[in-house]
Amino acid sequence: MENGVAVRHKGVFTAEVLSNQQIRECYYRLNLVLDPIGSRFFEHVVPGQFLEIDLSGLSLPPERHIPAELRDIAARQVLLRRPFSFSDVVTTPTQDGPCVKLEIVYCVLGPATLRMMTLKSGDVLSLIGPLGNGFKIFQTLKLAVLIAGGMGAPPLLHLGGYLRRHFPAVETICFAGARSCEDLPFTLKIGNLTGLVVDEFDTLGVASQVATDDGSAGFKGFVTDCVRHWLENHTIKPEETMIFACGPEPMLAGAARLAADFGLACQVSMERMMACGIGLCQSCAIEVNKGKADETEYKLCCKDGPVFDSRNVIFQVQP
Amino acid sequence: MTEQIDLTVDFAGIMLANPVLTASGTCGYADELTEFMDVAGLGGVVTKSITLAPRKGNPTPRIVETDAGMLNAIGLANIGLERFVSEKIPVLQRLGTAVFVNVAGQMIEDYVAVAERLAQEKVVSGLELNISCPNVKQGGISFGTDPTLIREIIGAVKKVCGDKPLIVKLTPTVTDISATARAAVEAGADALSMVNTFTAMVIDIETRRPVLANRTGGLSGPAIKPIAVYLVNRVYQEVAKPAGIPILGGGGIRNATDAVEFMIAGASAVTIGTATFIQPNTALHIIDGIRQYCTRKGIRSVAELTGTLR
Repeated sequence: MENGVAVRHKGVFTAEVLSNQQIRECYYRLNLVLDPIGSRFFEHVVPGQFLEIDLSGLSLPPERHIPAELRDIAARQVLLRRPFSFSDVVTTPTQDGPCVKLEIVYCVLGPATLRMMTLKSGDVLSLIGPLGNGFKIFQTLKLAVLIAGGMGAPPLLHLGGYLRRHFPAVETICFAGARSCEDLPFTLKIGNLTGLVVDEFDTLGVASQVATDDGSAGFKGFVTDCVRHWLENHTIKPEETMIFACGPEPMLAGAARLAADFGLACQVSMERMMACGIGLCQSCAIEVNKGKADETEYKLCCKDGPVFDSRNVIFQVQP
Repeated sequence: MTEQIDLTVDFAGIMLANPVLTASGTCGYADELTEFMDVAGLGGVVTKSITLAPRKGNPTPRIVETDAGMLNAIGLANIGLERFVSEKIPVLQRLGTAVFVNVAGQMIEDYVAVAERLAQEKVVSGLELNISCPNVKQGGISFGTDPTLIREIIGAVKKVCGDKPLIVKLTPTVTDISATARAAVEAGADALSMVNTFTAMVIDIETRRPVLANRTGGLSGPAIKPIAVYLVNRVYQEVAKPAGIPILGGGGIRNATDAVEFMIAGASAVTIGTATFIQPNTALHIIDGIRQYCTRKGIRSVAELTGTLR
């Protein structure tokens, strides 16, 4: 920092909506193109990073489009920005520098995402980013095991594509889990050899398996049990393998336990309510081991995370 | 060519470049903000609360959004006096703006120790005393709700402040804010800061538990603004104006109109809090807006605005 002005890695930018399509049930896919300055900042975004979008100025969709379970709280005001990860980031070089397009998959589950439903091509949004630290890829990596739980899937879709593009030698498999088939933010199809696969991962050339708690699609049970079963039946080299997990906290705690049982390294993408996303409000605390025995400290999900080494995290809920 | 507006404000003997500061607890140690704006453009910054020993803070959830506001219960998470002095003071020296450090504690001795050490730092323009904390020695009753305790704590801290002005941040969660304001002024406060957040609760009706891990939190944001404006005006009329003490006013300020309202009510300078979370450089926009207001109204010096409520 010099004279009170920092070297800037993030900022407030605008993005224009290219499309906003319903994928299935409550899930939507939002495609954005960043302004030229923002594009420069987002050019080297890695999977697991995120942004904060100001949705406070958007209006409600017509009442008939409001899901029944959200009608009671639909009119609640939106004040704070909302954090979103990316399911894909594409950079195209142009004469005036890079042009970055972002893809966000979101679930309509509250007053803010309800308003997102109304976004249409040409609308302009204010966003802050890129934020946080993404997944780390080590040079020794040969096998990437992705564990996605429900709405935790988008950054792993980004990671799957990122690994194919930049680390084509890494074998990647994604296990996508949810409570029930309709809670999966994906299109499923029958694969050539392995039964049910996720179309979005298949398109990327990434193997996938599906697990649902109620057995409505794929493996019946927790996705971490599905991964455990797979690991038990495959010969893996721990030093060349990494688990990447994103989903509800009990699932992440389950992934951490799984990794410990098999002696694997594991990165988990955590989630907390955050007011700012830039380290000001201190609300998104994650308890981590301090290194010394029995001593813990709080790190910030927005600044120090959202991706953490699973061995360091003290999970609030058990698997 | 528009006439130059004088935005400077003499706040308890400290010359501020303009009357807009970022509020304690919403701008970290000010270093996080530098990626989003030139902090030198601010009237000043008020750091988060510094305590004698480091504090981890509360478990999560620490915040929850409400209609037109938010609740927070961070638990004064901070790196403690020692690390603040060694790591953050050098950063603050490069900001080029007035720095006020917010001081908190659990016992009067804690406040005194932190204030005494910070008063020696040249870069610290003044101290803001957070007296909304529970007093451990007196069964957890808040320092800031009891005029006797207020006199005691301010009397003790004032002795070690040297030439640094002591700003006392008042809690609005009292029956008679003029009584606590008067106690602060009589005990030696050089300025009053108001308002801190309002104690509040949000309940999850599925689990029937409070959403915040701390059960209660402090309400901030646009929801509290009209109450804060009223309280500033009341304290200005009843305590601050007669005593010749300036008020640092805030609570839900989002734009220049809000800021000007606080000044008309009696504030000499204003703090921007929750709005910074949404738009990190809000304070700079507000400074521009105040300048435009002064131009439009033919006000040459922004200081003329304070306490002009008709």
